[in-house]
Formats: sequence, structure tokens, C-alpha cells
Amino acid sequence: MPPFVGSLPNGAGLSKPESNIVTLDVGGQIFQTTKQTLSLAGSESLISRIFDSQSGAPFIDRDPELFSILLSLLRTGNLPSKAKAFDIQDLISESEFYGIEPLLLNSLSNPSQFDAFNLEKSLVLALNGRDSPSAIATTPCGSMHVAHGSKITSFDWSLRRKSTILTQFTAVDSLLAISPSVAAAGATDFSGLQILDLQKGLVKESLNWENMTRSSSTVQAIGSSPEFLFASFESGRRNSNSIMVYDLQSFSPVIEIGQNEIYGADIDSAFPATKLNWVSCYSLLMASGSHSGPSGVLGSIKFWDIRSGNVVWELKEQLDCFSDVTVSDNLPGIFKVGVNTGEVFFADLRNFGAENPWVCLGDKRKVVNGKKEGVGCKIESHGNQVFCTKGGNLELWSEVALSSSKKSGDGSGNRVFRKNFLGRVNDMGGSKITNLAFGGNKMFVTRKDQQNVEVWQSSGRGF
Amino acid sequence: MEDRNSESAPGPHHNDRVKLNVGGKLFETTLSTIRSGDSDSLLAVLSNRPTNEPDADPVFIDRDPEIFSVLLSLLRSNSLPSTARRFSKQELADEALYYGIESHLKAAMSPPPFTGIDASLVVTIRPASDGRPSAFTAASGDGSVWIAHGGQISSYDWNLVHTATIRTHLDDVTSIRRLWPEIAAIGSESAAGLHIYDISGGRHVGSTHWTDPSDPRIYKARVTAIADSPSSVFASFDCPHRENCVLVVDKSTLQITSQLGRLSGNSAKNMVPGKLTWLPETGVLVGSAVTSGAFGYSGYIRLWDPRSGEVVWETNEPGSGRSSRFGDSFADVEVDVDESILFKICSKSGDLAKADMRHLGDDPWVYLKDKNPSMRNTTGGGSSVIHCYRKQVFAGREGGLEVWSRVEGIEKGVEREGEECEGLYRRNFVDKVENSERGIIKKIEGGGDRLFVSREDAEGIEVWESSNSSVVVPVL
Repeated sequence: MPPFVGSLPNGAGLSKPESNIVTLDVGGQIFQTTKQTLSLAGSESLISRIFDSQSGAPFIDRDPELFSILLSLLRTGNLPSKAKAFDIQDLISESEFYGIEPLLLNSLSNPSQFDAFNLEKSLVLALNGRDSPSAIATTPCGSMHVAHGSKITSFDWSLRRKSTILTQFTAVDSLLAISPSVAAAGATDFSGLQILDLQKGLVKESLNWENMTRSSSTVQAIGSSPEFLFASFESGRRNSNSIMVYDLQSFSPVIEIGQNEIYGADIDSAFPATKLNWVSCYSLLMASGSHSGPSGVLGSIKFWDIRSGNVVWELKEQLDCFSDVTVSDNLPGIFKVGVNTGEVFFADLRNFGAENPWVCLGDKRKVVNGKKEGVGCKIESHGNQVFCTKGGNLELWSEVALSSSKKSGDGSGNRVFRKNFLGRVNDMGGSKITNLAFGGNKMFVTRKDQQNVEVWQSSGRGF
Repeated sequence: MEDRNSESAPGPHHNDRVKLNVGGKLFETTLSTIRSGDSDSLLAVLSNRPTNEPDADPVFIDRDPEIFSVLLSLLRSNSLPSTARRFSKQELADEALYYGIESHLKAAMSPPPFTGIDASLVVTIRPASDGRPSAFTAASGDGSVWIAHGGQISSYDWNLVHTATIRTHLDDVTSIRRLWPEIAAIGSESAAGLHIYDISGGRHVGSTHWTDPSDPRIYKARVTAIADSPSSVFASFDCPHRENCVLVVDKSTLQITSQLGRLSGNSAKNMVPGKLTWLPETGVLVGSAVTSGAFGYSGYIRLWDPRSGEVVWETNEPGSGRSSRFGDSFADVEVDVDESILFKICSKSGDLAKADMRHLGDDPWVYLKDKNPSMRNTTGGGSSVIHCYRKQVFAGREGGLEVWSRVEGIEKGVEREGEECEGLYRRNFVDKVENSERGIIKKIEGGGDRLFVSREDAEGIEVWESSNSSVVVPVL
């Protein structure tokens, strides 16, 4: 078989039967293509309907140049370079007309195009006003919401259009995108979790936790799984906390897990969860929280089975508590930054239930006169990599696939992780990174006192 | 617009013509034109279709007609028309791959033959993260390059388009060699062993370590240089206590087949080679080492026969050579593999010397002279590197890049005794003054029709190319 056949998106670029060829007249220019190519647009789209209905060459009263770009997109799956002559907004509206916007989105903002090793700081999205971003949320297609002050600004997947709404919060501390137009928002100084319609600027629903003391319920963290929405609440008097599980569609409560009442000085392991991660490979909810007290920073990481409402595994953090912790499904493991050492630690999820599963991935330096190097570090996993911020710098941790014959002296058992700094020399440093999020083929970074969002993506195709 | 006359086509038969309908536009060309692609290409397959009657409907190809017209011009004339500038390199490469005429596109898009006397900096390849290259290899001859930076290896194809980045388990890759089209051998001066990585798959394939059951001190040996022949890999290993040797490793099994030149490493004469070159013509392995200290440079050049394991020839500096050159030992050595000539650059005077490897003796060196007045102020003293590529010798002195090129057509009779090479080589700067200020040149390597230069503490790798189009700077 000749090699070109495999390179076709649909395996049918060459067509012999005449009936397969479709002739279109777009704005006076004749285009010919095949039914297979047009059917890639999906059965609902305008172009796939147009050749079904008529036998002659249908006339479409649109710009032929834009159509030729979209036809190339259908043929090859990539935008041709002449598309750069147009504003992406023209292409989006034209693709909406033909009903192939998902294809355009797929070619420009596909999560599979995310290349961690090739990320460059490519754009800076300015935010109006003087508030710096407090929380950031992304959707898989690459649209992004950023909360700054009492406002939430939403950017669409092309990052060319934005809209800003006003919320009831003074500052949003937790933000989670449920769909490109719906987000869940909460604050540590405001009662209730709000489901916001970001297009209309309306509160769709306000979810409250009925606590024992009948005080307000502030939101410490929000998380989600494909089915559920999780919220970590704390009572206004800060003496009780709980994690509520809601249905992601109807927002009706499903179960309440991990309710803690704090009586007297018994604060151990009763801190509210400040980060909720869904571990999809085990169908567990990872809830982590920490507390800085006179004896240092204490924390706990709990894995909840949300069907039974039981803790499956709890990690008590006393010696070098996490400053931030994340879980990776692909690797699979938990990663934390130690608050004292600032080092990245790894716990293999295959050692589930172990007493002290942490393996230091760094060079295990001694803690220098108790300086807390890990304070404020963020760690997030995306794909097969783990991203860790240290002040203004970004570290990328990746696993090296070693052949089985090789025995490694370091790393964890037989797994080897290696670190790289992200960015070129003039991208390094800068203000401290406050938020890190991933969506589409992009990484979003916000920094302290910077009224903007940095967009990192790999160079290559697209705009 | 595309229905050009094909009167120039040789065949008088009507059957020789081919009509194609690409995306709704009609093209007419000749069989010989579209047959010039690869034999299993889409166009060649089309040309082999039995042409029935002349009035048959043309073959329909569902692709963009504009790019096809560019590629058809390429097939007709073997050069890209100016309309090709509207398309990106990547787009043309993708489309050429579809039609199966990638080799034509490569030939038309690659720069003209590289000459050092007329080259300019075209681009600096900068990897996205940890961008200071620790090693690189211009690998195969198509102008592609693999760059090792911060423990990662990034590969760039013949178009200099980034194709892949992989993370190795080493933190500092200091030597890299392309063994197969997608397989690299790497070594580090901070971690032990020779490691083989699959660049396209991003996987570690295997490792080789130097061990000696009879000597427990042979342990944690680091690789300082790698060379390869069609069947073996040669890697110089250096132990922490400085004992060293060159291991011959079988390319397919990664088993050590023999050991060359095991040395104690206690003096400059027997330290580990920092450079290894295998000569295909004679099968000889050339190793060289240079070290510098308070008393200047010292080092050796040694030639091994890998089959017998014997040293064929060696020279040490200081210690051998002309007494007039005392104290002027070499700072770098390079082998011109095609011509079998050894070149060295002197550390003190900065002079270049060559030695014919077919007639190596006690003092084979012939010192090259050039009285180019613009080069008068350049002497050695700093760090110098040399590289031979396409019968030219490139020398980096500090940040400056110069080339020694041979002047062709000199009659033998003109040569005079004692200065036989004077007329043969001319020395010129490749770069401009501002280029030299970017940092000390660390490594120069040629590949395809490009020269790649890395500088100390500078991000990325410079790509120098020759060009046939003039640089016109409008002054108004």
C-alpha cells in the first residue's frame, strides 16, 4: 500500500467514482471535494446537509477565501498558513456558519497538542482594573475564567473574546469551571458556594452547608469529578467543617463526608480541606488540608470513598508537611512540595496504604536554619508531567522511561523523575506565581501583583 | 492559469499528457513530470494508471489546488516558485509528503552548498526550556540537529522544525552521537556510563558501563567522548581516580567487545581522550586530549588500530615537534575525515597546522600562514576550537569564527620549498564583530549545508548558511 493512504484523515483522498465528488459554488468560486471530506464536518453541520439535498452545484453566498481555509482544515485537519492573514475571529464566525467550529477548536486548542517540553511564554492577557488574579479555572477546550477582586473575567478558547461579570464576593478564593459558561465560585469570607452563569452574570444556584452552630458556611475548596461537584465548607466560627458532594448536573446534595467538630484544643486532623482532587484511576477523592501552629505545620491528606463516605487512606503530615499537593492519574502518584525543604516528594499510588510512602525527588539538602523554602509553592500535574512553582520559577518534573535492565540508584525504587526549569533565561524569575492551570494546549500562570494572565503554549501550528 | 503548454515535453503522443483535478482546479502536465517523484508516491502511482481515452475525466485529488500548483512547478523546474513563500515550510513539507515528492522539496528548500567564505547567521535555534546547549550533534547530513540541553535532548529536522524533546535520566549530557537515524548514544561528565536513547520513542534503550572484575577501582567511569563506525561504538571512559580507556562496544548488542589504550591518567600524556574520531578509510581511531594549566596547554594525539588494539602513531605536546614551536602546543585537534588530514590549532601563536595522515612521522606538521592584513591582530592565547567540514577548517577563537579555505587551481610549480602551503589556504572571518560578542565559541559542527555553533553561556545554537540571494539594505 502506498504511504500516502495512511496520511489521509479519512483514508479517502483519492476518489474514483464520480458520484463521490461534490462541487460547491462559494461566492462565485467553484470548489470540488469529496463526500468523505465534507462528512467529517458532522451530520448536523451546514456543509454536510448541503450536498445531501441537491444534485447540482449548490451556491453558498459566503466569502470563498475563508471557505478555502476551512476546506483545507477539513482535508488535512490543520489550518493552512494563509489563515494567518485573517483574524481568528473571522474564522470562528465563518466556521460557526458552516457548523464546523468543533473542528476548528480541535485544530487550534487540542489538549493533545500540549507539549510540556516545548512550552514558551507566548501571550499575556491583560485584566482591567487594579485587582490581581486570585483564582483561575480552565475547561478542557482551553477557555479560561479568572477571578480578580469581585469580578470574574472569562476568555473563550481562542482567548480573543472576553466578558466580565460582577459577583457578590469581595474576592473569589476558589473557582472551578463546570462548562465554558458555568462556574462554581466560593470564598473563605463569604457564606455559600455559588453556581454562576458567566454569560448572564447571574447566580444560578447558591449551595449552603447547614452546620451545627447555624453560622455561615464559607468555602475552602472546590473540586469535581465527571459526575460530582465537591465543596469543602467551614463554619463561620471555624469550629466545624465538612465536605459536601453535589450532583454536577442538578446541584442537589448527594452525600456529606468528613464532618469534623472541633471541641477545645483538639485540632489535630480536623483542619478543613483546602484542596480537593479527584483520583479517577481509584475513584477516590483526595482532600488535603494543613494548619500552621506553634509546633510547625501539620497537615493531613485523606482519600475518601464517596460512595460509602469512609476514609480509605489517611496520610498525616508532621515532619515536612506539604505546602501543596497534587495527584496524577497518568503517572500514577501523589506529589507534594515540602513546606520546610521546598523539595518535591513523590508517593507511588501503587503503594496505597503505606505508612510513609514519600520519596524525595530532590537532592535532599539539609534544611538551612529552619527557613521555610516551600512556603507558597504550588504543584499541579498535567498529562505525564508535574509542574511545581518555586517563587517566580516553574519546574517541570517528568518521568524517564528507563529500560528494565537499568538499575537506578536514586528516584523511587525503579522510577526516575527529573527536573527542568521552564522558560528561557529572560522568562525566568519574575514575581511569585500564585496560580497555575491547564486547559486545551495551554498553560495559564498568574503572578503576585500582576494584573494579567500569562499564557504558555508550544510553538508550532496555529496562530 | 495552470494549463501551461507542454510543448517542451518530449513525447509527441497525446497519451503522454495527464490531466488532474485537484480540489476543483484542472491541471495538465506530462507523465514524465509527475513520474519524477519517488516510485511509490501518489503521483507516480497515478501516472501508472492505464490512460484510457483522451477525453476521460481527469483524476480527482481532494487537496488544496494552490499548494499543488507550487509543488507541480517544483516538479517541472526543480525549484520552488516565488508563490511558495505564501505557505509555511511545514505546510509544504506535509503536502509534499502526501504526494510523495518530499525528496524534491528537500532538494529545493535546502540551502546552497555551504562555504565558509560566504555564510551568514540565519537563525538561532532556541529550545524552550533550559536552553543552554551542553552538547549537540549535526547528526546525519541533511541539516538536522540534535541538541542536548539541561538533561533533555531536542531534535530538529532538516527544516529546523522542532520534532521532539525527550528527558534523559542524566542531568548534564556532555557528549552525544547519532548511532542510527533515531538512536542516540549519550554520555555525561557528571554521571557514569554510556547510555542509548530512542529519540522518537523517548525511551532509554540500554546502558554500558566500564567494569573490570580484577580491579574494583574501575567503577563509576564517565564518558568523555563518543565515536562510531558502522559496527561499533567507541567511547572513552574516565574513572574518578582518572584511570581511563576507550571501550569498543558492539552497536547492536551493546556488549563490550574490546578495550583500547587503558591509561593511568596520572599525567597529561595519559589522560582520557576528550575527542574521538573514527576514520572510515583506514579504520583507525583518532583520540586526542588537551588540558590547560598554569604552564600552558599540553596534550596528545593517538591513533589506534581497533582490530589489533595497538597504538599506530602518537605525538605529545609539549615534548615532540619542532623546537621553534616550543611552548606553543595545540589547543584543539580535529581530523578531516574525507581528506585524512590532521589539523591542530596552536595555543599561543594561534597558528593552524596540518599533517597528512598518510605520511605521519616525527614531525609531520606543516604550519599554514596567511598574510591577510585584516587578520593581523588575531593571535591565539584564548580558547580555541577547530572543526573541519567540506574541506574547510573552521576555527573559533574566543567569540570570533574564522575559516581556512583552500584555494583551488594552484600549480605545483609555484610552490616553493618551506612554504608549500602558503598559497593553498586562505584565512577569513566568517562572522562580524558583533557576532563575536555573544560569547566564547564552545563547539562548531557542520551538517548538511549548515554550520552549527554553540557559545558558552548563550542560549540556543546558531545556524549559519550560505545563500545565493543578496542582502539588499535600502538606505532611504
